[in-house]
Amino acid sequence: MFFLKMAIKNLSRHKRRTVITALIIAFAILIYILTEGLMIGMTEMSFDNIINLESGHLQVANQDYWDDRRELPLRDLIRPSAAVESELKQTEGFVDLTKRLNFSVNLNNGIDELPVTGVGIEPGQDSQVFELEQHLVEGRMPEADSSEIIMGAKLAELMDFSLGDFAIMLIRTEEKTFNTIDGEIVGLFNTPHPSLNESNIFSSLSTAQQRLNVEDKISHYVLRLEDQDQAVNAAASLTGRLEGELNAYSWRDAAESLVTMLEMQEIETQVILAIILTMAAVGIVNTVILSALERMEEIGMMKALGMHQREIVYTFMGEAAGIGIIGGVMGIIMGSLGLWIFNLNGIDMSALTGGGDINYGFPLSGTIYAGWEISSFIFVFVYGVFVSILASIFPALWAARKDPVKAIYHR
Amino acid sequence: MFKAKVNKQKLIFFSTAAVLMLLLLSFNSALLAQDLTADEIINRRDENEYVITAYSEAEMIIKNSGRTQTKTMRSWQDGDNALAEFTNPRDRGTRFLKRDDDLWMFFPQAEDLVKISGHMLEQGMMGSDFSYQDMLESDKLTELYDFELLGEEEYEGRPAYKLEGVKVPGKEVSYYRRVVWIDRERFVGLKEELYAESGRLLKVATVLNVEEIEGRWYPTRMIMENKLRQNTSTEFIVNEIQFEPELPEDIFTLERLR
Repeated sequence: MFFLKMAIKNLSRHKRRTVITALIIAFAILIYILTEGLMIGMTEMSFDNIINLESGHLQVANQDYWDDRRELPLRDLIRPSAAVESELKQTEGFVDLTKRLNFSVNLNNGIDELPVTGVGIEPGQDSQVFELEQHLVEGRMPEADSSEIIMGAKLAELMDFSLGDFAIMLIRTEEKTFNTIDGEIVGLFNTPHPSLNESNIFSSLSTAQQRLNVEDKISHYVLRLEDQDQAVNAAASLTGRLEGELNAYSWRDAAESLVTMLEMQEIETQVILAIILTMAAVGIVNTVILSALERMEEIGMMKALGMHQREIVYTFMGEAAGIGIIGGVMGIIMGSLGLWIFNLNGIDMSALTGGGDINYGFPLSGTIYAGWEISSFIFVFVYGVFVSILASIFPALWAARKDPVKAIYHR
Repeated sequence: MFKAKVNKQKLIFFSTAAVLMLLLLSFNSALLAQDLTADEIINRRDENEYVITAYSEAEMIIKNSGRTQTKTMRSWQDGDNALAEFTNPRDRGTRFLKRDDDLWMFFPQAEDLVKISGHMLEQGMMGSDFSYQDMLESDKLTELYDFELLGEEEYEGRPAYKLEGVKVPGKEVSYYRRVVWIDRERFVGLKEELYAESGRLLKVATVLNVEEIEGRWYPTRMIMENKLRQNTSTEFIVNEIQFEPELPEDIFTLERLR
């Protein structure tokens, strides 16, 4: 274990150089932790928004409906039945369920028309599954069997509506015939889910069903479970138990495009980390060559006294590992500190986008907070040390292969 | 004199003698017996206005909140298909192709072919008050609606039948109810009101000018108002129309649309 002692001693011989080299690694880790933290934060908040405001944990719909669901068809709807509902209640971790009917609406204010998504909800029951009611900024939720509606405060502002106004909703029935709902605006909401604020109108389910001539049919059931991690397995087992064309879809299926986007983002973060650590690796190579050069006589002497070439390489690798560990510890401390400062106030999404409505495709708005995972801390620490060691191997081999006589005379 | 006119018409429409015979027969019987059923009145109008094969040049004056745009176009059509091409400088080369129940649009600047479907069908065509969906509905009205004769009244100085059509259950049509005023002598529509299922008036089409072209009365100027939106209207003026022209071959194909 002589070479280990040597490595530790060598580290303290040029403290300033060691610290500066370690700092490069520390900075790489800091940037990774901050980027990853922001990503984790945005991901968690996006998923929360989707679950709490758009998809719930599980949705049950006809298979054909699900494929075309973005077009808001009135085909392939499902007729609620006690048998299906009791089956749904058997789901592991079941908390509550509600029925919804999505339909396409042309919202009209007498001057302009805007295509939006209408959602028929069960007043009262909907709040057991979704958090929409908590985001009301004015008024209240629509009552059952009434033509009351609620919409995003932003949409209302755009269409020049205020509380108590009547909005004409031009819809097409199942037979494609025009029908209208004179919706009285009884509530305005402002959720952290931007597309909900901009393009969704909620009305009572029974009114929507009656005006769309779909009898008592609904587009899907939505279930809330105890935990979001149960959803994927629950969807699979529920699909197996449900009869006919009914399928269960987890919130991950609903947020399919977001999941894909996040996977791409993850790769992007890894690439950034790799580039920064490559730069750090150049620093390590430089440090090892420098210390090898200035210790050339020493190396020659040790080789002459019988030290193996392998042990000399280990000494340099040990030194590099030491730099990696110091840098890693500094980086993690700096990163944690950075995250803590970041999360004191969070960051306003609109500040990031210059006050615009751009959200980079994330279903979130308002203030974002970073998240963190212990596994990504461990990963980046190990990765940093590994890159340091890897970078030291070649310069160490170069130094260790020197002929002892030539090394002593520094030639 | 009436006989002479019949002969003249027969000559012009020699190629479609059979169709014309039917039309003329009903014309005669109409003069003999004034009490036509609601469906007969609608069919008589459709025989005048519902063009099988035609070439036309028209202009569209679109008014929207104080702004006026004029668009000109030429169009070709046969039974199930139609092609329209805009000729005003701003939209020159923009083409619409209707084939059976599908509608495509071609933008020359982008050299892009777009199929219009779903939500887009409900938008006004080129910013007008005619929706794309309105363009697609070409089935016989009497098959889609149960018509009832409400009475006879004078409309803008012309004697007219007033009829009401209510959608036949199970048929896919845009408007639940329509009220039409049809000229009692010329059998052309003078005014039409289109209602939603809830009873709300959605659109009103008013015919401003009727001309006798190639022996049939044809509305050449009409105005469409969207009653859900203030200060918008679209005026449609037919400058030239030829019935039964020779259509270029393959005109209604996607290849020709590009």
